[in-house]
Amino acid sequence: MAEFGVITPSVAVVGGKPATATGKALSVVALRKTYGDIVAVDEASMEIAAGEFVTFLGSSGSGKTTTLMMIAGFCEPDSGTITVGGRDVTRLAPQKRNLGFVFQQYLLFPHMTVHDNVAFPLTLRGVPKDEIRRRVGETLEIAGLSGFGGRKPRELSGGQQQRVALCRALVYRPPVILMDEPLGALDKKLRDQLQVEIKTIQQELGLTVIYVTHDQEEALVMSDRIAVMRNGLVEQFDTPRELFERPKTPFVADFLGAANFLPGRIEQHTDEHTLVRLDRSGGLLKARRHDLASGTPVKVAVQPGRLRACAIDDGFCSGTVETATYVGTLVRAGVRIDGGDAPLLRLEVPAGRGPVAGERVGITADPDDVNLFAGEQEG
Amino acid sequence: MAALTAAPARPRKLLASRKTRVGILYALPVVVYLLVLFVYPIISTLFLSLKNADGSLTLHWYVDALTGVNLSVLITTLRISAETALLSLVFGFILANAISRLRPLWAGLAMLIVVVPHFISALVRTYGWIILLGDKGLVNETLAWAPGAPYHLLYNELGVVIGTTSMMLPYTVLLLYGVMRGVDRGLLAAAASMGAGRVTIFRRVYLPLVAPGLASAGLLSFILSLGYYITPALMGGPNQTMIATLINQQVTKENQWNGAAAQGVLLLLLTLAGLLLVKLISSLGASAKKRSAS
Repeated sequence: MAEFGVITPSVAVVGGKPATATGKALSVVALRKTYGDIVAVDEASMEIAAGEFVTFLGSSGSGKTTTLMMIAGFCEPDSGTITVGGRDVTRLAPQKRNLGFVFQQYLLFPHMTVHDNVAFPLTLRGVPKDEIRRRVGETLEIAGLSGFGGRKPRELSGGQQQRVALCRALVYRPPVILMDEPLGALDKKLRDQLQVEIKTIQQELGLTVIYVTHDQEEALVMSDRIAVMRNGLVEQFDTPRELFERPKTPFVADFLGAANFLPGRIEQHTDEHTLVRLDRSGGLLKARRHDLASGTPVKVAVQPGRLRACAIDDGFCSGTVETATYVGTLVRAGVRIDGGDAPLLRLEVPAGRGPVAGERVGITADPDDVNLFAGEQEG
Repeated sequence: MAALTAAPARPRKLLASRKTRVGILYALPVVVYLLVLFVYPIISTLFLSLKNADGSLTLHWYVDALTGVNLSVLITTLRISAETALLSLVFGFILANAISRLRPLWAGLAMLIVVVPHFISALVRTYGWIILLGDKGLVNETLAWAPGAPYHLLYNELGVVIGTTSMMLPYTVLLLYGVMRGVDRGLLAAAASMGAGRVTIFRRVYLPLVAPGLASAGLLSFILSLGYYITPALMGGPNQTMIATLINQQVTKENQWNGAAAQGVLLLLLTLAGLLLVKLISSLGASAKKRSAS
C-alpha cells in the first residue's frame, strides 16, 4: 500500500471523499427491469461494502449485465433504488453518477494517445495539468504500461488496451468500478494473467469492483463475493467458499459445483445429522443436520470431488465403475449404482488411488459435504 | 554447390521482369487515356494562357485576369464558394447526424430522399428554385403577412448561395453520413461513464472523430462551387458573376481564348491550393496532438 500512498491523498481533492471510506459503497434495493413480457431482472437486492470485489455470475440472459447497466445508468429500472455511497442515483444520468466502467470492447478513444485517454476523466474534473501528468504516470505504472503514454490505442495489443481502459476507469478513483466481462475478448492465457493483475491492483488500491462474467472459474479466482444469477433472480449472494460448500439452491450446486443429484426421503434426525433413505439403491446416507420433516422427499447433492470410493459394504450405496479417465492429477470416474438405471455417479479422486474400470466399489461422503434440497424444487 | 544455390535465383529474376512487362501492358490504356484526355488539354491550356497574339510568351493574360473587374469576379467566386461550403457543411452535418441516429431502414429511406432530387437535371432544379424564391413565389406568398415582404431572394448573393448550397448538400450529407456511421456509439457511452456531459462528449470525442469527414466534405463542396456555372448564372445578378460565367463569356462572346485559358489555370491553382491547405491543417493538427501527448 505504501507505494501508492502518493495517490491516495489527491483522491480527497477530486472525488470529495476518499473511495476507500469504510461501510457501504453501493446498495441495490428491489431492482426490477422488464422488456415486454420478459422479466430481465426480478427484485434484485444486494449491499456491497467498500473495498469489496463482487461478481455477478450467470449465463447469458440471467440478468447480470442488465443489473450492471442499471447501476451504471445506461438502462433505467422499472422500479427499485440504487444508492452509491448513501446517494440515491437511480434516476441520474450516467455522467452524474461518478462511477468507473470497463467495457468488454475496451472503447478507448482512437483519436487520443494512451496518456490522453487516461487523462480524459481527470480533465473533466478540472484537475491541474501537473497533477494530471503525475497521476496518469503513476496509474500507467501500476498497470505496467510506463512508456506507452505516447502511443495510440490501435498500436497496442488487446491485453494492453484493456489495461489502459482499466487505468482510465480507476485514475479518478470512483467509489465503485463496474466491469462488464472485461476479459471476454482475450485468449485464455492472457485472461488468466489479467485476472491476477486486476485482483492485485484492486486489493492494493482498495477498490470496490463489480464484475460481470459467465466464467465460473474467473468468478471464483477474483471475487470476495459472488451473486449467482438465473432468469433475473439472484439465486445466492455469498463468498465463493459458501457457494461451493453450502449452496442454497440445486441450481447453485449444479452451476458451481457440478454436483451429483440423488433423490431420496428424510428418514430420521439425530443430534448432529439427518439420515436420508435413497430412492433407488435404498441405502442410508448421513447428511448435515437439516430442519426438514421426516418423510419429506429431498434431493441429495454431492460434488464429484467430495465423493469417495470405499469397501463395498461401507458406503451408502454400491456400484460398478464404468469409466475411469485419467486427467493429470485426478481420475474422473463414472459409477453405475446398483438397483436402477440412474445416471452415472461422477467421482473425482486423486490419481494413483483411483478405482479402475470394472471394479465394484462402495460410495461414501463426509456428512458435511452432503447438501439437501427439498424435493419439489427443480434441479 | 555454388551453382546449385545460384540456379533458382535466375528464373525468379526473369519472372519478375516479365511480371513488370505485363504490368506495364495492363497500365497502358489508362496511361494513354490520362495523357490524351487530361494531361494534353491541361498543358495546351497552360500554353494558350501564356501566348501572345504574335505567338511570343507573355504573362499579360494573368495580369489581366488579376486586375479590375476580373479580380472582383475572382473574389466573388471565392466568397460564394466559401459561403456555400460553410452552409452545406452546417446543414449537411445536422442532416447526416440526424440520419445516422435512425434505424438502418429509416436511414436508408432518408438518404434516398436526400439523393433522389439530384437525379433531376441541375437546370430543372435551378428553375424550381427560381419559381419558389421569386417575388411572387411560394416562399414570398406564404410570408406575405410578414413586415418587409416581399423579400428579394433571387438575383443577389443570397439567391446564389441558396441554390449552390442545395446543389452541394447531397455530397456533404453522403460523406458525413459515412463517417458518422463509423463512429462507435460505445465510445460516447464510455465518455459518459467517466462523467462527460453531452457538450463535452460532442466536442472532445464525437467532433474529433468526424473531423476528417468534415474537412473533406467542406473541401469538396468548396471546389465544386468554384467552377459551378448554371446555378450562379441563373440565380445571381450582375454582381454575382462567377469565374465560370466569365470564362464562358470570354469564349462565346469575345472569342478571347487566351484570357479564358489564364482564368481556367487560376481556377485549377485555387483548387490545388485548397487541397494543400486541408492537407496542411490536418497534418498540423496531428503533429500538435503528438506533441501534447509526449
